[in-house]
Amino acid sequence: ALSAGSRLLRGRGGHVVIRFALGGCTNRPFFRIVAANSRRARDGKYLEQLGCLDPLPNAHGEKVAGLNLERLRYWLGCGAQLSRPAEKLLGRLGGAGMDGGGRAGLGAALTASHRAGLAGFLPLHPMTVTGAERLRRRRQREQQPEAAPADGSAEPGTDS
Amino acid sequence: MAALAARGTAALPARLRPLWALPARRALAADAGEGKAAQPKPAFTDEAVQTLLYKMTGLDLHKVFRPEKKGLKPPHYKLMTEAQLAEATRKAIEEAKTKLIMPPVLNEREPIDDVLAEDKVLEGTETAKYVFTDLSYSIPHRERFIVVREPNGVLRKATWEERDRMIQIFFPKEGRRVIPPALFKDENLGTVFQQDRHEDLLNMCIAQFEPDSPDYIRVHHRTYEDIEKRGKHDLLRSTRHFGGMVWYLLSRRKADGLLIDMINRDLLDDATSLITLYHMLHPECQSAKEAKEQKLQGVDLIKVFVKTESQREGYIQLALQAYEEAMATSSAS
Repeated sequence: ALSAGSRLLRGRGGHVVIRFALGGCTNRPFFRIVAANSRRARDGKYLEQLGCLDPLPNAHGEKVAGLNLERLRYWLGCGAQLSRPAEKLLGRLGGAGMDGGGRAGLGAALTASHRAGLAGFLPLHPMTVTGAERLRRRRQREQQPEAAPADGSAEPGTDS
Repeated sequence: MAALAARGTAALPARLRPLWALPARRALAADAGEGKAAQPKPAFTDEAVQTLLYKMTGLDLHKVFRPEKKGLKPPHYKLMTEAQLAEATRKAIEEAKTKLIMPPVLNEREPIDDVLAEDKVLEGTETAKYVFTDLSYSIPHRERFIVVREPNGVLRKATWEERDRMIQIFFPKEGRRVIPPALFKDENLGTVFQQDRHEDLLNMCIAQFEPDSPDYIRVHHRTYEDIEKRGKHDLLRSTRHFGGMVWYLLSRRKADGLLIDMINRDLLDDATSLITLYHMLHPECQSAKEAKEQKLQGVDLIKVFVKTESQREGYIQLALQAYEEAMATSSAS
């Protein structure tokens, strides 16, 4: 039936995205990995739920994520885009790390590079690598200033 | 208390059949390949072994259909003719046979440790590991992909325990918990054994663990050891665990307790099938050779076995004597 949502969907534009829909309660997030029209609300009506992610570690210290790879492959084949966090998850954390063979259809040179780029469902996102480098550099910088004031305060101490 | 028994009997034959298919097919293929009589070690799934175990299990309808503690309902009476009663008994026997299908006896599974990728770049970015499960609906659970991305960037396949947990979270099965109950720990098993609830424990164990998991095998072996130690073989008679117990005891050559129990209950046929199975499992032992040479049957088979193989000769001789006297007096009178 036509409703307020359809006003958005008339006109032009709009494409399928695979993104995270936030659920849960206060101080207790829970993400559903969802294929939806890009112009829908974040938590609104979606086309299909493709999995879930629990960002808080459980009793065994693991963050549990489920991904319906079969349907993911279908939607990616239909031309769905990925949101930034979804790219980081699927491309990055090796996502499911299983389907190197299944993704062969999308063209990349599969045969040679089993480990390097296609370790996961999709290759590592470049922002992941950049983010990791930035984090490392920030930590190093934090350690150096601690070392420098420590030296500075030690010298007057030994002097006096 | 009620939960214990009810949990165990949930969802049985439908689940066991596909699991059975794998080992049975492999065993049959192995049979066909190697020839029948010359096989060095008969497997649990061989037809001959299965028929013998099934005969020994017995079919006590009163025990199989013993009232489980479910909701209270007033008893249901029916008026039947003799023919209808015979028909109902036949149907009950068919149902009992499905309830007595033996759960598989498999070797312990090999631990998985397979690294799929190592990305040193990701080291230090995360604090917890990520576990990814493939939720595609039409994949059998054994082939499902479950991988773990550790904080040091290594992408590896999940261990068996992690696999079982994840599969239970996303595809829950009735009677199974995500974290196994504390009942299955060694220190708590003793309490259950003291209450003589071996059968309920084994039913719960089947519901909770996979047949080739180390926990399943450990609990089963512990139960069989306790039964053998206290001589309570009758607890498992006419249940589906009897075959597994007999297989375990015979592989370790501990057939004496069971033999005594059978003779005391005047189950001579079961005793002879027990000895036959023993000979099939250990064809190189002396009693097996003698039995094959002289083609013994019945009580003679038992006597030969008692003379050569058993440790508790005295007891078995006494039991046999008591049985023969009982037979003599009953046939005389």
